[in-house]
Amino acid sequence: MTFSSTSLEAEATPAGDSSLHETLESSPPASGRRLLRAFLTDWGAMLSSAYILLIILMAIFAPLLTMLSGWGPYEFDQAAIDPNLGAIPIGPFGGISAEHWFGVEPGSGRDIFARIAYGARVSMTVALSATLLTTVIGVVMGLLAGYFGGLVDLVISRVMEFLMAFPALIFMIAILSALPADNRVFLLVVVISLFGWPYLARIVRSQTLSLKEREFVEAAKASGASSRRIIFREILPNLQSTIIVMATLAVPGYIGTEAGLSFLGVGVVPPTPSWGQMIAAATPWYAVDPMYFVIPGAFLFLLVLSFTTLGDRIRTIATSGEARS
Amino acid sequence: MIRIVGSRLLGMLVVLFLVTLFTYAIFFLLSADPAVQICGKNCTPERIEQIRLNLGLDQPFWTQFWGYVGGLFTGRTFTVAGAAVECAAPCLGYSFQTSQLVGDMIVQRLPITATIAVGAAVLWLLGGVVAGVLSAVKEGRFLDRFFAGLTLGSMSIPNYVLALALQFIFVVALGWLPFPQAVKFTDDPGQWFLNFILPWVVLAVGYAAVYTRLTRANVIDTLQENFVRTARAKGLQPGLVWRRHALRPALTPIVTIFGMDVAGLLGGAVITETVFGLNGVGKLTADSITANDQPVIMAVTLLSAFFVIIGNMVVDLLYTAIDPRVRTGASA
Amino acid sequence: MTTSKRLAGFIAAATASALFITGCSAGGGESDPSQAGTGGTPKTGGTVHMLQNADFSYLDPSRGFDGGVNAFYRLIYRGLTMQAAGDAKDPNAIVPDLAESLGEASEDGLTWTYTLKDDIFFDDGTPITSQAMKFGISRSWDPQVGIGSPYLRQVIDAPEGYQGPYVSGDLPTIETPDDKTIVFHLKKPFPEFDNVLAQPNAVPFPEGTGAGDEFIKDIIASGPYTLAEYTPGSSITLERNEFWDEATDDVRKAYPDNWEFEIGIDAATIDERMIAGQSDDKNAISGTVSAATLPRLQTPQLKDRAITADAFCTTYMSMNTTKAPFDDVNVRNAVNWAIDRSALVNASGGTQLADPAFSIIPPVVSSFKDFNLWETEGDKGDTEKAQELLDEAGLSDGFEFTLDIRSQPLMQGQAEAIQQALEPLGITVNLNVIDTSIYYETIGTPAQQNDAAITGWCPDWASSASTIIPPLFDGRNIFEKGNSNLAQINDPAINDRIDEITAMTDVDEAKSAWGDLDEQIMGLSPIAPLVFSKGIFLPGENIAGYYPSTNLTDLTIIGLKDPAKG
Repeated sequence: MTFSSTSLEAEATPAGDSSLHETLESSPPASGRRLLRAFLTDWGAMLSSAYILLIILMAIFAPLLTMLSGWGPYEFDQAAIDPNLGAIPIGPFGGISAEHWFGVEPGSGRDIFARIAYGARVSMTVALSATLLTTVIGVVMGLLAGYFGGLVDLVISRVMEFLMAFPALIFMIAILSALPADNRVFLLVVVISLFGWPYLARIVRSQTLSLKEREFVEAAKASGASSRRIIFREILPNLQSTIIVMATLAVPGYIGTEAGLSFLGVGVVPPTPSWGQMIAAATPWYAVDPMYFVIPGAFLFLLVLSFTTLGDRIRTIATSGEARS
Repeated sequence: MIRIVGSRLLGMLVVLFLVTLFTYAIFFLLSADPAVQICGKNCTPERIEQIRLNLGLDQPFWTQFWGYVGGLFTGRTFTVAGAAVECAAPCLGYSFQTSQLVGDMIVQRLPITATIAVGAAVLWLLGGVVAGVLSAVKEGRFLDRFFAGLTLGSMSIPNYVLALALQFIFVVALGWLPFPQAVKFTDDPGQWFLNFILPWVVLAVGYAAVYTRLTRANVIDTLQENFVRTARAKGLQPGLVWRRHALRPALTPIVTIFGMDVAGLLGGAVITETVFGLNGVGKLTADSITANDQPVIMAVTLLSAFFVIIGNMVVDLLYTAIDPRVRTGASA
Repeated sequence: MTTSKRLAGFIAAATASALFITGCSAGGGESDPSQAGTGGTPKTGGTVHMLQNADFSYLDPSRGFDGGVNAFYRLIYRGLTMQAAGDAKDPNAIVPDLAESLGEASEDGLTWTYTLKDDIFFDDGTPITSQAMKFGISRSWDPQVGIGSPYLRQVIDAPEGYQGPYVSGDLPTIETPDDKTIVFHLKKPFPEFDNVLAQPNAVPFPEGTGAGDEFIKDIIASGPYTLAEYTPGSSITLERNEFWDEATDDVRKAYPDNWEFEIGIDAATIDERMIAGQSDDKNAISGTVSAATLPRLQTPQLKDRAITADAFCTTYMSMNTTKAPFDDVNVRNAVNWAIDRSALVNASGGTQLADPAFSIIPPVVSSFKDFNLWETEGDKGDTEKAQELLDEAGLSDGFEFTLDIRSQPLMQGQAEAIQQALEPLGITVNLNVIDTSIYYETIGTPAQQNDAAITGWCPDWASSASTIIPPLFDGRNIFEKGNSNLAQINDPAINDRIDEITAMTDVDEAKSAWGDLDEQIMGLSPIAPLVFSKGIFLPGENIAGYYPSTNLTDLTIIGLKDPAKG
């Protein structure tokens, strides 16, 4: 992870920041339309969303884009590298030119723009899939543990503790390096999700615990509603903002994790491009061809920044929006 | 209180045992022929046989596992090249690839990991708390926004990208710093400092950002608490209000999280050490995974988990001791 | 980091391979006089440092066997013969070391006799006798200990089931009539026997020593240096062996008082340190620089310091002739025509670090013949020609195959270049990335290898091609385990020719015959030669007498220009 999971979790709901809790306790969910308007006028949220959208489009339309730019992600271009100087790209800034918009890779002359576009696929696919998976599992587990308590809670909490006690990064590297190389994307999603869901579940659980005691839930119970109904009709809606914020804030973590794993060599197998793996390949060249690491590094940085900003803005809007209504 | 400590201890041991079991099982299941992998290059059928014998690889899973666990408590003897190699408790295994006791390998590398971890920890704690407090006090003003932006950026940049960027700027372009190497403090303190600055900064930046935000939020909340308002209303000097009433409750959660983070780092900062080529425990982990040196991978994974679990337990206990509300058992 | 690995079969092979060649080893390779060592004659004193990434496999010379550790052994051990000095006119030649002269062969070539010099001692003062020499050599038969160079066992006769001195006792086929004379009985006549005794494991040890793990952490030296300190994975320090007498050694100069090997340093860090050249790094040497470092060597001072070394090793892709469609020579030829070797040179670090290869014998090894059966413009490959051949083979639309490669960036880059080159023909190359630790096991086991594999080969001695062609292309050398004939080619014409050449008495005739055989074999395309891997070395400023080689750098002639700085 780009930063430790304990900090990430504590950061998401800081120990002292109970504002989210309090607003949930004091009022029913705020008007959706009002929140949307607040969202659209927040330029931090808008900029981030724009960049994220750009990357998603880039990922989806990668083949089209590379047709336009003229070079695929696997094609070698011997003319763009200098064989007498260790096969370094010709020209300043790592060989940026009209032919190669982002320059080329040393040693092979592969087009960096094409590899960035295709690399976006891996990053987005893994991060979004992992987020989806962890959110689903985390919410389900958290709800079950928080609502039913007792044995269910005991078991689920122990499992969560157990998973959180693992040094996740080391374990992920070890598992991934031991497994064969096919279906990497799938494996990455599974492995990342395996260690990621407890953090979400823990938050959902504690919120469920406090929601459980509130009047409207008691009222629902008194009127004979089934547990299922209560969970889905009363509790879950109140968790909406939390879940959205947590999910949005989880994405950058997973992007960073996938990139980190690729950087260490256990991500997707080359020649499939991945931003993390491009940076790893760029490391020896950092002194003479800095663009080679700057470009994927910048893309990574901006993507993580955008998701984090988005999550932050959503949370601010949700809490202030609800407080107002 | 004793009961709580006791149950926590028990819980910790259970988790530790399960982690060991799980780790061992994963490696057992995932390796096609562990003997061949453990042997590495320059292998002969005789060595493979030797490894099989030493580690009992032909035996059922549970026998092997208990052998490993037993070694952790009582030590083990390996037969290498016809001679006995004593592995004192806790026996973390023998690396056939490098002909060394895993314990020795780790001990050799601990100083570097400790240097990086402690140096970075000091940096991020000081930096994070100071920035957080300043942001809280100047809430909403320029300084606060500035730090907010800075922390956002710091949290978002992957540390290996930051490492390369800083290296390029300070080592290659400006030439202010030397290329980071593991210089001993006793050899040359000045050079030691200059060499470790980059790894410290790279590792600390992410944490500092998070700590800044945490501190800021905590301080803001604490300042709004009733007991602080009361203290102010009573006419206490601001400085006193700060030190006696506000700072402690604001910072206590920080310190406990700090404990957990540092504990996690004792297992080695894998990426930071790898990027700078510093031979700490983290790099040992990365290298042994590349080389598929199973005994080492097993050992560092366990060690790391051990630190994290201990750290968690210590923090839990501290919380219990400090915060009376928690003692009633409402916590997870 | 070199891409190639010595595949000389540590795993004890069942049968001796047909390694016959007549003529003395003096018919060595071409030494290039323009390969200059650094500045002048070294002075005595100081400490030379060596920065490296991997630890030496073993301190015990019967166990270790690769380019790096062999160079190390030269500093601490001596044998009856040895390879000439790195700055000699013919550095590939074999010269006497502890023996007074090269061996005397009997009429039938089955008995070789050597006489030891006077005044030769181990590092504890014990004299080196012929019995000690015999003992040291016999350790090679011990299955646990003798896992290094295989030649002693393959060439010297021994009783059936002999398992070395610790298990089976005395070896009767080596006689020591007196303290200074030693006589060897061979299985078959082997004219290059001096080369065999120059191998790292043919060194003396006091009788009875070296059992179990005695030589894992400490050694008994016969050379100019002995072990002062050893921290595995971290450092090795050598100090002078006071009992080594310079007068008895024609090759080693042993200028520095100490050697310091710093181990476990990242390749990137090594390059950075050598470029920066701070403090003790001025007195250091290291392996070849990586491609990314080359553009940084363009400043005049660095350019001056850098030394190029010729390629002794060939990187190639073997094609498994027992698996379709590689059983069809047209398909294999097509591959050789299609491959873009200029792209492979780039993938290997550019023209400074690699040359395109069209034969298995590298230019620096004697017997090299300059030919190119697949000549294309700029070495870019000829897809049309390849397509024609595929059409003939009935595979006009291409095919798919699995290529085994090691999980290492350089090899990966080379594999990708091959993928790219074969793609226009409709040939899909699936990369099977295998862990470094088990790579050679896997491809060396015919039952486990796939359709093709990328690997390298270095000669065990460079004075002839006798350690190149037979292990790789002799059909009788296909083993179940530890196989080097990856193409599994078994052509009677080739096998016979190998026998003929090895029986030749005329050295020059043999040399050119090997070269011709190389061309003949390439006509069958069992492999696709890719590149010859050169090396660029950057020694510290204060280093002198440095003649780096991609095969065996002679450490014994290196010293400091100014010992006061070291």
